[in-house]
Amino acid sequence: MPEIRVTPLGAGQDVGRSCILVSIAGKNVMLDCGMHMGFNDDRRFPDFSYITRSGRLTDFLDCVIISHFHLDHCGALPYFSEMVGYDGPIYMTHPTQAICPILLEDYRKIAVDKKGEANFFTSQMIKDCMKKVVAVHLHQTVQVDDELEIKAYYAGHVLGAAMFQIKVGSESVVYTGDYNMTPDRHLGAAWIDRCRPNLLITESTYATTIRDSKRCRERDFLKKVHEAVERGGKVLIPVFALGRAQELCILLETFWERMNLKAPIYFSTGLTEKANHYYKLFITWTNQKIRKTFVQRNMFEFKHIKAFDRAFADNPGPMVVFATPGMLHAGQSLQIFRKWAGNEKNMVIMPGYCVQGTVGHKILSGQRKLEMEGRQVLEVKMQVEYMSFSAHADAKGIMQLVGQVEPEGVLLVHGEAKKMEFLKQKIEQELRVSCYMPANGETVTLPTSPSIPVGISLGLLKREMAQGLLPDAKKPRLLHGTLIMKDSNFRLVSSEQALKELGLAEHQLRFTCRVHLHDPRKEQETALRVYSHLKRWAPRSFWLGLGRSGARGGSHCASRQRPQGPLRAAPSRWVRDCGVHPHPGCCPLRGPRHQGAAGVLDLPG
Amino acid sequence: MDPECSQLLPALCAVLADPRQPMADDTCLEKLLDWFKTITEAGSSLLLLQENPCLVELLCHVLKPQDLSSRVLSFSLRLTGVFAAQEDCFQYLQQGELLPRLFGEAGPLGGAAWTAPTVRSGWIQGLRSLAQHPSALHFLADCGAVDTIFSLQGDSSLFVASAAGQLLVHILSLSMRGPAEGPPGLQADDWPACAQKIVGHIEESLRSTAAPQITQALNVLTTTFGHCHDPWTQVLWVQLHPLVAALLEKDPVPAAHSLVDLLLSVARSPGLSSSSCGLWETLAQTLSHLSPTQAGLLALGILKLQDCPQALRAQAFAVLLQPLACVLKATAQGPGPSGLLDSTSADSVTADILLPSKAACVGLLCRTLAHLELLLPLPQRPCPWPQAPLLGAAVTLLQLCGGSGSPASDEGRQLCTLLLGCVRVQRAALDFLGTLSQETGPPELVTQVFAVLLEYLRSPDSSPTVLKKAFQATFRWLLSSPRTPGCSDLDSHALLFLRELLPVLQKRLCSPCWEVRDSGLEFLTQMTRRWGGQAGFRHALLASEVPRLTEQLLRDPESYVRASAVTAMGQLSSQGLCVPPASPEHPGGQQKSLLGELLHILSTDSEGFPRRAVMQVFTQWLRDSHADVVGDTEQFVAGVLQVAGQDLDWEVRAQGLELALVFLEQTLGPPRSHCPYAVTPPVAAPASPLTQALQPLCRVRLFEFAFRALFDCDRPVAQKSCDLLLLLRAKMASSSSLQEPRSSPDVASVEAALQRWRAGDQAQPLGDLEPEVVLAVLRSMDLEGLRGALAESSDHVEKSPQSLLQDMLATVGILGENEADCY
Repeated sequence: MPEIRVTPLGAGQDVGRSCILVSIAGKNVMLDCGMHMGFNDDRRFPDFSYITRSGRLTDFLDCVIISHFHLDHCGALPYFSEMVGYDGPIYMTHPTQAICPILLEDYRKIAVDKKGEANFFTSQMIKDCMKKVVAVHLHQTVQVDDELEIKAYYAGHVLGAAMFQIKVGSESVVYTGDYNMTPDRHLGAAWIDRCRPNLLITESTYATTIRDSKRCRERDFLKKVHEAVERGGKVLIPVFALGRAQELCILLETFWERMNLKAPIYFSTGLTEKANHYYKLFITWTNQKIRKTFVQRNMFEFKHIKAFDRAFADNPGPMVVFATPGMLHAGQSLQIFRKWAGNEKNMVIMPGYCVQGTVGHKILSGQRKLEMEGRQVLEVKMQVEYMSFSAHADAKGIMQLVGQVEPEGVLLVHGEAKKMEFLKQKIEQELRVSCYMPANGETVTLPTSPSIPVGISLGLLKREMAQGLLPDAKKPRLLHGTLIMKDSNFRLVSSEQALKELGLAEHQLRFTCRVHLHDPRKEQETALRVYSHLKRWAPRSFWLGLGRSGARGGSHCASRQRPQGPLRAAPSRWVRDCGVHPHPGCCPLRGPRHQGAAGVLDLPG
Repeated sequence: MDPECSQLLPALCAVLADPRQPMADDTCLEKLLDWFKTITEAGSSLLLLQENPCLVELLCHVLKPQDLSSRVLSFSLRLTGVFAAQEDCFQYLQQGELLPRLFGEAGPLGGAAWTAPTVRSGWIQGLRSLAQHPSALHFLADCGAVDTIFSLQGDSSLFVASAAGQLLVHILSLSMRGPAEGPPGLQADDWPACAQKIVGHIEESLRSTAAPQITQALNVLTTTFGHCHDPWTQVLWVQLHPLVAALLEKDPVPAAHSLVDLLLSVARSPGLSSSSCGLWETLAQTLSHLSPTQAGLLALGILKLQDCPQALRAQAFAVLLQPLACVLKATAQGPGPSGLLDSTSADSVTADILLPSKAACVGLLCRTLAHLELLLPLPQRPCPWPQAPLLGAAVTLLQLCGGSGSPASDEGRQLCTLLLGCVRVQRAALDFLGTLSQETGPPELVTQVFAVLLEYLRSPDSSPTVLKKAFQATFRWLLSSPRTPGCSDLDSHALLFLRELLPVLQKRLCSPCWEVRDSGLEFLTQMTRRWGGQAGFRHALLASEVPRLTEQLLRDPESYVRASAVTAMGQLSSQGLCVPPASPEHPGGQQKSLLGELLHILSTDSEGFPRRAVMQVFTQWLRDSHADVVGDTEQFVAGVLQVAGQDLDWEVRAQGLELALVFLEQTLGPPRSHCPYAVTPPVAAPASPLTQALQPLCRVRLFEFAFRALFDCDRPVAQKSCDLLLLLRAKMASSSSLQEPRSSPDVASVEAALQRWRAGDQAQPLGDLEPEVVLAVLRSMDLEGLRGALAESSDHVEKSPQSLLQDMLATVGILGENEADCY
């Protein structure tokens, strides 16, 4: 039975490292290849040994698809391709291809900088990995091979984020990655065709949340920064190199302009230029407003935001500094934090999640006396704020997307089990669609009924037409013919044509047996009675069907001179009808693929 | 356990036992378990439980019917296993009936929590840790755990199923280790009941008609024979061998992949492969029963074995070669054997798989090429190695994929249709072709190799990944091209090829794809490094536009390419190959020197890769006494250190220290060997006193750079600087001109400035330093202590167990505010 199989190696009932294996019509695809920043050993990566057991990775996997540049979706990619040994194609959008190595490099530098990280990839590995990437455009159908095709759709969330449709023949799966159904400062809302896939694999981070307006959060953020600067304080915003940082930069830049503020804003790692470059390059991926105003003024050419120098941290007076890394666990952001933490006028705004084992996690959990190296204690007097700026669809948005795509089934990933459970019930009850939420390592199997196109010979169609029956799309009807399976092509032709094409002679089997009759009547009379009886009950003739498909791809039929394969007499009740829609040229034949039987099928006249 | 942690533990256990307090960060419990494992590995678990009764209370508490998180339950099961791994602690927990309540029918096993895979996984891992002693075996038998493990082998979770299989192997191995009085006898009937039960289950599974059960049994056996080489494994194999062999009689062979793994595991096992238990016959049978796609891996495994009958090796090699033999046969220009395999003409099976479907054909060819690529470098590879036909096959495949093959036969044409433009086969064939360069081949074939490589490098249809592999293969073949013994120069044929290659490289350096430009530059760097000194190469290169294009790529929009261009230019310059002729458009125009250009990149490039590449080139130049550097080395070093010191990328700063180290060694002489037995040349101590020798270092402001780096917020920079200063101090100690420390106002002011730097205020420069002051400051610094501190990770305090416990306690009650977010 054909089926689609999905096994999350990560993101199954958690928000850790996304990595989902999909098997569709014999093709194996890996969706995302993320890392978990909470570990500093091999547990940071998905356990790929479950794939390598099936042989060489490159032979097993047909492709890897990366939905966007966040590390929980792409962080394990260099490890997977350069250390585990995957040598096949990796697909992602153009912006993701451009930004992904920057974030990977940024994280690598932090990992090496911190020390104590084992088995980590190098800069050269990141570059070699990125050379294997095939970049795709939105709505471009990319042929991975003769059968497997993928198509990217806009997902919002971050620059370059995409949903992917994976299609083999008539079977398809849509993977959303992370997405946002409402536009934000610089990105638009996710959009996808009503593609009715067999399965929609969707993220469910905010499965139970109806999020407050992003405008409110932005207002709140600006108010807090403004207040801190007004009272002469310094504001530290720890960020990762690209992504949320740019959104916050746009916010502050616009606010500074409007309020005519003079306090300097600094960006610590010279990333503004890089961000500008990519946001300019991929301006078509931003929202309509940014695209429209681009000609007059490029949103990403910041007037108020300047490059930071380490010496500036000691300058008197207020300032705002964006510094990496985002979790205050090494490098410059941590150094600035240590300098500023003791002053209650200052403020640190954490715009994202921090894993345990970082200073960011500590201050977010309310700890105010931090032990530093050498048993020193740092008293945190500065104001600590948390503002989530992650752009995910909320419960309403997820339901909206499911309604838009109209899948046969939904599979939830990238969320917490309890929240998923709630959304699962909602989807099943309100949308009447089966919903699954496998844990990591669990496989969901969905049977499919693939549609196999079959060409119909003109002769056969004409013969049907001659009977006075015109094709009617609303009234499918049965059409009898002989199915020829040759070189992966299926054709329905008349039996005569089949014999002619295959150069075969018609067989007639005569079954004889000796029967002793005890009949008191005369011999002639008895023979007549037996003949009448047989004429009434036995079929007039029947064809022979052969057991297995031709090993060389050709169709075989029994020949009178040299029979091939096991011969089986096929009584009329075994003969198959082919349900055919009366569209000329080809028609879908619902049934299992690659079936072994081949030969001539017919119905008794 | 330190007292601080011990104090925090009761509160933490209370939090864990409270179902109203969910754990937001799933890594915390993992890290907590890691910590407990470390503690129990170092000391007594029993003592730990007695000193911290809250732990047992927690384990008891999780058994109460409540809505406890499955993660905490799983954690508790695993934690119990960790404690019970020590027999006295096991007995202690047994007395409290805790173990049967956690792992028996009465525990989570029978409850709703069992539906969560994480609980099932915790149950297995708990038992895995616990099963370390004979008492544990009795416990497993009493609580019926083994039957549950059997059923968990078919669990819906891959992780659980796999762990269950491994636990079975562990229990089997443990029970066969036997009690203290000695291991069980070699007769299977004498084996312990637990072992007999597991073996009985394996036998039953092998007899099953269900493929998943057979797979499970085979996997358990594979792990057993892979990990355990005790004599009883031979008995086990003898007992199970007929059942395994019987699988080959089924059509199709069930669980073929697992069967191959098992047979190879047995063959690798030293005790089993030498015993006459029909292993080689079974391997031979399996080779002939499996389809070519399945048999390849087995064939490779057999050929990798150290000791194996020659006939079996020959059979395995034939299986491995079959697909390529078919390709050669299908594309042969005339009748006759292809030279690869003469006896495979009748083997239609491979041809049947190759020809009808593209997917099968591509899959089989890629696997075959990969297997042969792995085999070639091994010492136990078959001898004689059919180098020529294999070269022919690789070239033919590349021709078929590239569209230049024109086979005459129907089969060949069909193959051509299937492979035309197939990137997967192109990649695999180029990798294989590159590996084949380890051996030589007939000249006409080598010519074909270069021709097909050139064809790929030229072809507009070659994808960037294919081009990269074509460049790599070309370099390998150039390396292996025939040459005069003892001379590394390229021969005349290679030089002819090079003349054709350089225009192609030129074109590729202008490719719109950054990947291609970058691969081209990497190739150029490799070639220049290898043959830059050879006249033929130099002539050909200088006659081409390649150096000029490389120079242009220093301004490429892609930073990776700029970095590769910097490296390539550095290499060309080192070999005197980047002297560009005066431009005809600007005959009088000033050619900007490469040094100036690279310094410009170092100070202005917005990305780290090119700046790092510049620093590497400069360091190499300094090491090699490059002409541009030798002129005024001090000015060069001073300039570079000044720019590098201000760089935002810590790797550039670290590279600056590398350059400083080279300069220091050149000025003061190389470091002394640490090996007491090494024949050390006389120390290249400066002829003049040390203070005088330090003058150049002071003039280039090396010490200001190093002291600033010593307090860098990025730890590797600080560590490197610390090493450099320690080296200098070691030189001071060995110097005969060592003087007594001297305090002076200058020294005090420098030390005060360094204190401020250490506190993070690095605004004020140190100014001009005198060697005496430097020496005095170096003597007074606790560099050893600093090195010890820097050896730890920068977040070791946050990663400590105490910090973990504090964090877990601190998050209680604030989850609503900062709900699980992502990046």
